[in-house]
Amino acid sequence: MEKQTLVKEICPTTTQGWVKNGALLVDVREKDEVAELAYDVPNIINIPLSEFEERFNEIPKDKEVVMVCRSGGRSLRAAGFLVNHGYTNVVNMEHGMIRWATKGFPIKGDTSSVLGNTQNMGCCDTTSDSSQSCCTPTSEKEKVNTNDSGNCDCNKPNCC
Amino acid sequence: MKKQVKVLGPGCAKCKTTYNNVLEAIKQLGIEADVTKIEDIEEMMKYNVLTTPVLMVDDVIKVKGRVADINEIKQLLTA
Repeated sequence: MEKQTLVKEICPTTTQGWVKNGALLVDVREKDEVAELAYDVPNIINIPLSEFEERFNEIPKDKEVVMVCRSGGRSLRAAGFLVNHGYTNVVNMEHGMIRWATKGFPIKGDTSSVLGNTQNMGCCDTTSDSSQSCCTPTSEKEKVNTNDSGNCDCNKPNCC
Repeated sequence: MKKQVKVLGPGCAKCKTTYNNVLEAIKQLGIEADVTKIEDIEEMMKYNVLTTPVLMVDDVIKVKGRVADINEIKQLLTA
């Protein structure tokens, strides 16, 4: 995943602050993934990437929106799609559920599918004020659940 | 006129297969074409792409979210 500028990216810790301020999380993972393990936050909707083009207008334009997925790749593409469709309050949560669960943030379900290969991935200073924290993408970012060539190997639909 | 072919994808196995299929299709057809592989996520987002791999011919999206096989690509290049 290349560093890009079209979409602002925030880390899971910063996302926690956004959630507290009422931001809407949009989870673009497929339904079976969400059934297995879900973000446990007050404002969240699931629009799988496979349905995103047909359903993206369910996302309000006047709210702050954080796009999320499993590792941050699919949600980044979806966030870019929204920006291209005139959304201005959209950010992407980098590292996705993998980092979210590793951090011990609220979840519902079984973490076995995302935890495992997650050591030494810290990107946020968890000792700082979460509302102020911000990540600088690290070289470790690209190693999350990747195969030898650095590409996602999750084998989920629409996530190559 | 020379076809402009683009394969968009983050460099996954499916994207590589699509790219290789494009090269093979062009070889089998014996035509000339400019083939570009786009792996940069920001560049991809400019095309509003959600699912990859994406195969574009002359700047029109022909296949997205799956691997296009050689015969299919040959048809797209000769259409």
